[in-house]
Amino acid sequence: MVRARGLIVLTTAALVAFACGGTTGGGGSKGTIKIGSDLPVCTIGGQATANGVQFAVNQKNAAGGVEGYTIAYQSFDDCRQGAYNADAGVDNVRKMLDDKAFLGMIGPYNSAVAKAEIPIAAPQHFTMISPANTNPCLTKDIAGCSYHPQDLRAGNQNNYWRVVTTDDYQGPAMATYAYKTLGIKNVGILDDSTVFGVGIAGSFEAQFKSLGGTVAKHSEYKKEQTSDFKSILLGFKNAGALGVYVGGTDDQNICIPRKQMKDIGWAVPFMGGDGIETSDCIDQASGNEPNIYATSAGADATQVDGAKQAIADFRKAFTGPNDFGGYTMQAYDAANALMAAIGRAVKNANGMPSREQVRAEFAKTTGFKGVIGTYDFDQNGDTSLKIVSIYIVNGGLSDQAIKDSTGVCGSKTKNACFVWKTQFDFAKPA
Amino acid sequence: MSLPDFGFYVLCATAVVLLAAQAVIHPTEFVQVFIFGLTQGSIYALVALGYTMVYGIIELINFAHGDVFTLGAYVGSGILGFFAISESGFTTVNLIALLLVFPAVMLIMGGINVAIERVAYRPLRNAPRLAPLITAIGMSFFLEGVMFLWRGPATVHFPDILPKTATTIAGVFFGFKDIFVVVVAAILVALLAVFINRTKLGKAMRATAQDRDAAQLMGIDINRTIAATFFIGALLAGAGGMIWGLYYNTVYYQLGFRSGLIAFTAAVFGGIGNIPGAAVGGLVIGLIAAFSDSYIGSKWTQVVVFGILIGVLVFRPTGLLGMRVPEK
Repeated sequence: MVRARGLIVLTTAALVAFACGGTTGGGGSKGTIKIGSDLPVCTIGGQATANGVQFAVNQKNAAGGVEGYTIAYQSFDDCRQGAYNADAGVDNVRKMLDDKAFLGMIGPYNSAVAKAEIPIAAPQHFTMISPANTNPCLTKDIAGCSYHPQDLRAGNQNNYWRVVTTDDYQGPAMATYAYKTLGIKNVGILDDSTVFGVGIAGSFEAQFKSLGGTVAKHSEYKKEQTSDFKSILLGFKNAGALGVYVGGTDDQNICIPRKQMKDIGWAVPFMGGDGIETSDCIDQASGNEPNIYATSAGADATQVDGAKQAIADFRKAFTGPNDFGGYTMQAYDAANALMAAIGRAVKNANGMPSREQVRAEFAKTTGFKGVIGTYDFDQNGDTSLKIVSIYIVNGGLSDQAIKDSTGVCGSKTKNACFVWKTQFDFAKPA
Repeated sequence: MSLPDFGFYVLCATAVVLLAAQAVIHPTEFVQVFIFGLTQGSIYALVALGYTMVYGIIELINFAHGDVFTLGAYVGSGILGFFAISESGFTTVNLIALLLVFPAVMLIMGGINVAIERVAYRPLRNAPRLAPLITAIGMSFFLEGVMFLWRGPATVHFPDILPKTATTIAGVFFGFKDIFVVVVAAILVALLAVFINRTKLGKAMRATAQDRDAAQLMGIDINRTIAATFFIGALLAGAGGMIWGLYYNTVYYQLGFRSGLIAFTAAVFGGIGNIPGAAVGGLVIGLIAAFSDSYIGSKWTQVVVFGILIGVLVFRPTGLLGMRVPEK
């Protein structure tokens, strides 16, 4: 069903794009500029993110478009077999590059997809703004990366920016929270053997150890090989762990161990990155949902005063229970920042700008006022907003609490939801 | 004693000594991990039986079998949705639902597997060996596709309807579920053994496995016998799917590929075509996986399982209990 809904929205988006294209002639608009998004819209999180772009574009068009141009938005799906796929992403970027009207894109959602797409988009000066990529290697040349940002861009000027901060902050934020606030001094770490999972688990481990914590054991698994985690968990427990940190994503079954912790009678907190801050994770935890802690690289828009109005407006336009997600407002800000750059480029070019002009304008972005905060970007493409949020799953919530909840809820266990707990701002000196 | 036999016994002895050492040093952990392995292995055993029975009778590696197992869990989860079951405690409704749905899923999967045989394998019975192998792979993808379209890519919740009673005895934690898995699997395997050895149809199966043409000359309806083999294999796969769901409470559409591979390995491990062999093979692989996860490290588990498989097959090419395939 998730996939089917994605297709429907995709079709709707295409229809909207078509309709906009159709009205431009009659409305006296100068023409149509297309922006795309490349997101795994077969997943709830991906679709909720695409909704943010759609919302920003709808608002902009309703207010007269960008410097007289109508923005047509097309949502591309980078899912294959129900999970994000880098090849599908590359395919989508090629489709956008083949159409001269596309001047930029929002996405991708997954860092592994960005790694494959940047080398395709960079030589064409195609602006990419990710609302959700958190792998530091995409922008920073740091130890532990298997690739370098300059290689991805192959000598071209930077064409990639992101509005969220990086995993090298996500892991440390949870490590600090676990050690200092929860008082957990010994953890077991489990990663799912993916680029994302290994990266975030490593950054957690480094920070946790530097604070003085002990890592009882660091294990890894592969989705296609492990479905019974009880032996691994018992190993953690016997080694004295008082918490479990997982590096991974729900599509790799990262939250099934949470359920199995109950099966071995082990009740300690279960922590992870944004890959577990999902409905599917709550479903996988099946009966053991409470006390799952997750970080999210980026602010919780619902906790930011500046975003309250935009969210209220969004909820009026998108009324489904899963339409709003952890990256919807990030996508909204990203889309608005991109359209602002397009607007400046249109002004400078006094007409339809080139992709390079849009890229160059985006690179000059300073003090962009989004709903989450004011964004500056460094030359690598990283944002000055270095906020990491921490969520916890609470079970047995009342209907009102669910309605007010900022995080996602389970699709099976509807009264277990992620609830915002606190945030770390790494931009401010500690 | 021949050299291969010697090698095999050395291998077994080493494993036993290493495990015994662990058992002495950390007895509670050893028993706990043993229980994990036993429950996992019981499910693998049920699935492995289907592989081995089909291979024994028509020498086909039925790649779709793992997906029949997964589909069993999907169907079970779907049907249970119609009952007013409680996931917070064990109610009478839960018991009734369990008693109705468990055999129903087994029968449905049996029916589906017979249909698969009729459509994808029977027309190719006299075709070159590779042809039905490819249709088997095709069926596997087809079933995965059906599950994908039905419930989507995410993990599917299977209702948690068994009693949640759990207890700790001498530091070892186990629950009703663990006992349920092992006992139900053992009962099913015992029933199968009685069926194969004591009934007329079982005898017909053994005869068909030994020599299809001769069996036919003796008046055995080959088509019916082979269909029955697929039916019974899928009964066990369906039961395996139900047990998996009840135990783990989560299924996903690609589960069959991995479980199927492990179960197939178990069948070869025990001696393909050999029914007790498949049951033993399943249990042994479950135990190896659990011990490896615990003592060596989860990233090595697959390496360990297949390393041991290579070792066993090199020294004992017919598997642990010996192969029982048609003598020609």
